[in-house]
Amino acid sequence: MSPDAGAVPVALDGFGADGGFEVIAAGARAAAADGIDVRVFGPPGELSDLEAVDGVEVCTATEAISNDDEPVRAVRSRPGASVALAAGDVAQGRSRALVSAGSTGAAMTAALFALRRLHGVHRPALAVQLPVPSRDRPVLFLDVGANAEARSSHLVQFAYLGAAFAGSVLGIERPRVALLTVGEEQGKGTPLVVEAHDVLARAGGIEFAGNVEGRDLPAGSADVIVTDGFTGNVALKTMEGTAGEIGAAVRAAARLGPRAALGGLLLRPALGRLRRRLDPDTTGGAILLGLRGVAVVAHGSSGPDGIANAVRLAARCVRERAVERTAELLERSGATRASLRDADERDRTEHR
Amino acid sequence: MTRDEVMAKVREHLAAELEVDAGEIEEGTRFREDLDADSLDLYELVMELEDSYGIKVPEEEAARIETVGQAVDFVLGHVPSA
Repeated sequence: MSPDAGAVPVALDGFGADGGFEVIAAGARAAAADGIDVRVFGPPGELSDLEAVDGVEVCTATEAISNDDEPVRAVRSRPGASVALAAGDVAQGRSRALVSAGSTGAAMTAALFALRRLHGVHRPALAVQLPVPSRDRPVLFLDVGANAEARSSHLVQFAYLGAAFAGSVLGIERPRVALLTVGEEQGKGTPLVVEAHDVLARAGGIEFAGNVEGRDLPAGSADVIVTDGFTGNVALKTMEGTAGEIGAAVRAAARLGPRAALGGLLLRPALGRLRRRLDPDTTGGAILLGLRGVAVVAHGSSGPDGIANAVRLAARCVRERAVERTAELLERSGATRASLRDADERDRTEHR
Repeated sequence: MTRDEVMAKVREHLAAELEVDAGEIEEGTRFREDLDADSLDLYELVMELEDSYGIKVPEEEAARIETVGQAVDFVLGHVPSA
C-alpha cells in the first residue's frame, strides 16, 4: 500500500482552542476537504455546522479539561473529558491519531496513558518544527516541555526520536542531530549534556553533529536539536516572544513617516510571505514523540489553518509510518532502554 | 485470587516495560532504587493493575507504593470480593 492510500481517521479534541468551537469546526472542515476523516469530540450543539460535512463525524463529549486542572489527576478522574475520549478513540483503533489544541499537559497525559510509550522508550518528548528564515525546511526542536527533568539517557533517546521523525515525516535523508548547550566544543555544558554527548558521539544509526548554541536554533545549523524539556520550553518561549516583539517594532518603525511607510509598503508582499512561513499555524503544532501512536498538540491560539494543519500533520505521521519507523530505528541502533543500560554497564566495567 | 497470581502479574508487567529480568523482581524490590523506575513507570503499573483487577488507586496511595510487595498488598487489599 502506498503511504497515501487508505483512510486516516484523526480524533480531534473539540474543546480547548482559544477561538472556541468555531475555529475547531472550520479546521475540521478544511482537513476533511483534503480527504482526511475527522472525528471531533465535543458538544454536538456547538458543532452543528459539521453535521452535513463529508468526512467529519461529531462524537459527543461535553466535558473539558482546562489549563487550570492538574493534568494527571484530571485525566484519570474524568474519563468522559473530550481529550480523554479522543485519546481513547485512538487506543481503541477507531482513529489513527490524536489532535488537541487544549491544555498541553492534559493532551500529553491523555495520549501517554491511552497510547502508552513505545517499547524501550524512557520518556516521550514534545517536538516542534521551528521555521528557519534562511532555508525551506524547519528545524525539529525537542523536548519543549514534556519532561522538566531529564537524564542523559533521555537526551540520547530524544536524539533518535527526533531523527526518526525528521527522516520519516519531514523527508530529510540522514538528518543531522545536535545537542543544545553553551558551546560547540565537546565537554561544554552540564554533566547531563556532556554525558549524552559522549554516548551520541559513539552511537550508531544517526548523524550526530555535536553541540550547537542557542543562536543556532533559528539558523538551521542542524536538522534536529535536542535538549531537556525545561531548557527547551524556555528557549521556545524566548524565541516566540522575541519574534513577536521584533515584528511589532518593525511595524511601528514602518509608520514613523512617509518614507518609512513607502518602504514598508514596498516590502509588504515579501514580508507577508515570510510571515506566513514563520507563522506557527503553518507547522501544525507540536508532536509527542515516543508513543505507540500519533499525538499532535496544536497551539491554543491556533486559527482554522492551525487546526487543519495539525490534523494534516497527524495524518501524515500515520501515512509515513512515523511510529513504526521510530521503533525500528531505536531497535536497530541499540537505543532502547535495555540496550542503553547494558552499554552503560559495559562502560562502567571497562573503566573500573 | 492468590498473592502469587498478583505477584506474577506485577512481575510480568515490570519485566516487559522496564526491560529487566523477571527473575530479579522480588517482593522487596524497590521501584526507584532497584529497577531504575520513575514516576511514569509507576503510573503505568498502577493503571495496568486497575484495568486487570477492577480497582481504583487514589493518587495519594499510588505515590506511597515503593516496593513490588506494597503494590501486591494494595491489590489484595482493594480487589472486590468475588
